[in-house]
Amino acid sequence: MDMEVIAGTGPRSTTKMPEPDQTGLNDSLQFNEEIHHLMTAPNENASSFTALLELPPTQAMELLHHSPDLVKPALNEELLVPPNSASVERATRFSAFAPESSPVPEDSGANLDKVKSEPAETESNPNSSSLQPLLSDPTVEIRSQRPAKRKEREKKVKGSTRKSKSAAKESCEDGEKLPYVHVRARRGQATDSHSLAERARREKINARMKLLQQLVPGCNKISGTALVLDEIINHVQSLQRQVEFLSMRLAAVNPRIDFNLDSLLAAESGSLMDSNFPSMVMPQMWPEVQVNGNRQQYQQEWHFDAVHQPVWGGEEDGHNFITPENSLLSYDSSANSASLHSNHQLKMEL
Amino acid sequence: MRSSSSLKRDFLKKWVTSLQICSFSIRGTSVLERKKAIKLSADLAMASARKGTTCWSRALIANASKDDNNKVLIEHILGSHEYERSKQASIGSLMCNKRIRCKKILKKSFRMRRVPKKSCEPRMVIASSLAKRFIKKRTQFLRSLVPGGEFMDDISLMEETLDYIVSLRAQVDVMKTLVCATELVNCN
Repeated sequence: MDMEVIAGTGPRSTTKMPEPDQTGLNDSLQFNEEIHHLMTAPNENASSFTALLELPPTQAMELLHHSPDLVKPALNEELLVPPNSASVERATRFSAFAPESSPVPEDSGANLDKVKSEPAETESNPNSSSLQPLLSDPTVEIRSQRPAKRKEREKKVKGSTRKSKSAAKESCEDGEKLPYVHVRARRGQATDSHSLAERARREKINARMKLLQQLVPGCNKISGTALVLDEIINHVQSLQRQVEFLSMRLAAVNPRIDFNLDSLLAAESGSLMDSNFPSMVMPQMWPEVQVNGNRQQYQQEWHFDAVHQPVWGGEEDGHNFITPENSLLSYDSSANSASLHSNHQLKMEL
Repeated sequence: MRSSSSLKRDFLKKWVTSLQICSFSIRGTSVLERKKAIKLSADLAMASARKGTTCWSRALIANASKDDNNKVLIEHILGSHEYERSKQASIGSLMCNKRIRCKKILKKSFRMRRVPKKSCEPRMVIASSLAKRFIKKRTQFLRSLVPGGEFMDDISLMEETLDYIVSLRAQVDVMKTLVCATELVNCN
């Protein structure tokens, strides 16, 4: 990969597009909706973050050619995306591809304006900080489509500044008959298909590298692919080592693997989203509702001790008597006080 | 889009159930055995939280299922239906991987024959070739880190790494919380 390309994308990413926010806003909202629909619609399973990265090519073509709206299938509710994150994600992508100062061509000018208004609107959020929550949101959308489609989309975004034969070719591979996109080559760059393909590949890799840079802490200031890769490798290695270390600690701490996790998690409620855990706690508390057969007496006492830890968070209010399998995703706040009383009683009995 | 907390919740749920299964088979064994079981169940739970959408998760599950001891565990974590699917998928992916590797070998041999360009000055050529070598070495190494990395091309390697890092982070967070909670309880 060329260092120059990477250095080139750096300054480019910080250029702001001077578009008026009002017009951009409406368009971007509609854009959000469309992306939203398209992302959630066809694909079955839980998804990959890369769908955030990808516009379906039809969407990209629409941007450039003002084709009529695509029909959107019904939303899958689980995959609702808050509009900001989608637009932020797009902003980071587009900022990576922010065109140079070369003149915007006439024909696709209006469409590109629409595209550019996205970064204008959202670049007010600092990119790195807003990307963090986005990516730590499990990043898993629809499974990434073929890299070919992404290649095409990227070419559309850069459409104004590069010739893209391969893009046109790929656009025909899709179900729709899309016209060729004729664009100018960048100044001083070769235009044969090999170098185009290589350049496209490099652009793709660089785009992903940027995302990785923003994900891995401390990578932002580093320039140069090799060093960034170094950091990424270090990060992955350290995470893997942490997993090993933590599992060793867990093994050492407990003579039995069968943690009574419920009570532990009840005691340590803070950092996770714990509305589920208290509901796991309850079934274990009650001797008559023994879901797991190998509960021994000492374990139950351990539970009770754990319960009476002072560290009850706000989420601890739910207790259920249903089995752990069901209980994980439901909690009932009304049972709270009653159950606490009963806990006290049980402890005294023991 | 799944939030990170839902990922963690998913992971924790699966991990808990798998640990309970493990506990029946492993009792009073050495710390190392327990640690291995814990780590294995954690990894499998995280991989299955992705539900087969990412390459690294499939590769991780495939590697784990090579060992016969783990079959019961895997089957439970995945659910038998998905387990069967993953077995078929792994066979299919092995074939794909062989094809990919053959293609790569072919491409490399073609590339060798291409004449390197002499248009730039020798210094730049050296610098860029050095850079390329560095990058190549590092991507090789990254491939060895990410499960299933040897079979991906550069682009999907980056995507998989991204997803892998996110999942690892969630896993570490959950495990840390658990460790703290355990130690807290044990102190009292």
